[in-house]
Amino acid sequence: MAESGEKIVPPTSAPDDVLRVEHITKSFGPTTALRDVNLHLRKGEVLGLLGDNGSGKSTLMKIICGFQKQDSGQMFLHGEPFEPKSVDDARAQGIDTVYQDLALVDELSVYHNMFLRRERVRVPIPLLNNALMRRETRKALDDIGINIPRLDVPVARLSGGQRQAIAVARTVSGEANILLLDEPLAAMGAKEGGMILELIQRLKEKGEVSVMMILHNYAHVFATCDRVNLLQDGVIALDKPTSETSVEELNEIVVEEYRRARQAAIAEDAAARAAASSSSQ
Amino acid sequence: MAVASGSEVPAQSPPEGPASTGRALGGGALKLIRSFLTLREGSIIVVAIVTTAYFSTNATNFATLSNFKTLLPYFAPLAILGAGEVFVMINGEIDLSIGAVYLLSPFVFYKLNQAGIPLVPAVILSLIVSSLVGVINGFFVAVIGISSFVTTLGMLFTLDGLTLIISHTAPVATPGTSALHVNSFAQVFGGGTYSELIWALVIVVGLQLVLTATRWGVYTVAVGGNRLGSAEAGIRVRLVLIRNFVLCATCAGLVGILEAVRAVTATPDPSGSNDILFQGIASAVIGGTLLRGGSGTVVGALIGALFLGVLHDGLIIKGVSANYLDLYLGLAILIAMSVNVYVQRVRTGSGLG
Ligand SMILES: Nc1ncnc2c1ncn2[C@@H]1O[C@H](COP(=O)(O)OP(=O)(O)OP(=O)(O)O)[C@@H](O)[C@H]1O
Ligand SMILES: [Mg+2]
Repeated sequence: MAESGEKIVPPTSAPDDVLRVEHITKSFGPTTALRDVNLHLRKGEVLGLLGDNGSGKSTLMKIICGFQKQDSGQMFLHGEPFEPKSVDDARAQGIDTVYQDLALVDELSVYHNMFLRRERVRVPIPLLNNALMRRETRKALDDIGINIPRLDVPVARLSGGQRQAIAVARTVSGEANILLLDEPLAAMGAKEGGMILELIQRLKEKGEVSVMMILHNYAHVFATCDRVNLLQDGVIALDKPTSETSVEELNEIVVEEYRRARQAAIAEDAAARAAASSSSQ
Repeated sequence: MAVASGSEVPAQSPPEGPASTGRALGGGALKLIRSFLTLREGSIIVVAIVTTAYFSTNATNFATLSNFKTLLPYFAPLAILGAGEVFVMINGEIDLSIGAVYLLSPFVFYKLNQAGIPLVPAVILSLIVSSLVGVINGFFVAVIGISSFVTTLGMLFTLDGLTLIISHTAPVATPGTSALHVNSFAQVFGGGTYSELIWALVIVVGLQLVLTATRWGVYTVAVGGNRLGSAEAGIRVRLVLIRNFVLCATCAGLVGILEAVRAVTATPDPSGSNDILFQGIASAVIGGTLLRGGSGTVVGALIGALFLGVLHDGLIIKGVSANYLDLYLGLAILIAMSVNVYVQRVRTGSGLG
């Protein structure tokens, strides 16, 4: 829990918050991933979530999308308490996710992956409607501008970037109005990455979809995000509109943290050495 | 699953050999062979045909209707067992208790009938008991988290023991059957000459359809291929696993009853049922289903069973001494599987499939 010195106040709620996260904590055995996370997502905005490796960004997303359960804390969706019972449940309420590991099945075809858990079936006998899924997959990929020549090959045969494009297209082409994207550009070439960012820009212009995106590349952050949140030590250490911050400031915070940690380590080391030398005398 | 459609494969020069061979075969025939080999079952079909052709020309009386009839009870039960096992194996699990369920279910059927329950309802109830074994297997694997190898091994011994207890280690006459006359109940449930074959074909075709053309099939492949990713996508992994253990155990229970009706008696012989277990798994594996999960076919299991049946029957007709039978069978499986793997490698190596 947060020590008394740094009590964290939840961000003041605005009427157009689609999602609010309050005092979320999550531990994995001895590892505390999230200590006291408070964050909010406005309607139609793109929020960039930054933080070091292992700072708990993915964990936070998995809690919001119903894949994991927080230890404590609450969430609110459109002002109502939000306790997703499963990924399906969160999806039914309009939240969909691109996972960092992409959640693709190598053995399944491109279009079966595209519609995983949202398969189109015929009526009255629920047999897979492969023709329809193939067609809609082609359309979704064309919309983004990603070229994947054959949709019936297993995704194991595709490149890393193509796989990522499928994962992103799958989430974005669904019905969700809150998109959680965990490093959606990690494996993308410059051109394809640009296409995804353009797609997000287009969604933003429509104003219906809110996006929370984990990114490591500051250039992408400043190109796309309206606001940034920095996750550090299990809390949101910075929450600013992108226009009011800069690469320098973000760098400074991260480096400052690193410096503090190093100094603490050096001090500890020195203290230990002093203790050792005094005891040996 | 994901069998590539017959769409055009970019023309490639043959990997080796005189180009004239390819031309002599003709474009159409070549294309046919290629699209055939893109089938996952393609290679085992080739192996099965070659084996059948060998015995047809080298063993008198092999290619006859009466021999086909003696072959049937050998391979039809294996095809059904293999079909159920394929679903569990695509999930990346294994069910070692199918032999024990096969052993138990006719005794459950017998006891229920003795208790006054009519034949067909007693069959249905025995299948429900078998499916409960699947529920228990699935529960231990998917919920408790014990490996399926250990879980179903435990179940194997438990059910073998249970069968010995309830049968008092004595064979019983299968209800509704008589050695003198095959009535209509027996006709349907394994006693008729083609009864088991029809059951096998219906089940194999039905389950292949489930595997390739329904959500159940997609989720089965997904859970076997990427369990974490499947869960992240929202697939209820535990449910998929339990469902497939239930399917597998129910198939085994049905085979137990069909065989007991065909043989007119049920014998509590665990070593015989262990043989059945291994042959059922062998059918699935020979048919192209991977032990590591994510891939497999039900039709392949049928052909795998057919291959085992042809081999067994052919060796007997050739007059191979009983002592040598298992040895030859084992070696033949190894050789056939090597050819199978080689053909598959050629197929994927040349960009087919
Ligand atoms: N399922 C799990 N079991 C145990 N520990 C976990 C689990 N998931 C995450 N953790 C731990 O929680 C912490 C946060 O992990 P998380 O994946 O959320 O980090 P991240 O910010 O997404 O990092 P990255 O930038 O590398 O993706 C890490 O210390 C990690 O080891
Ligand atoms: Mg992460």
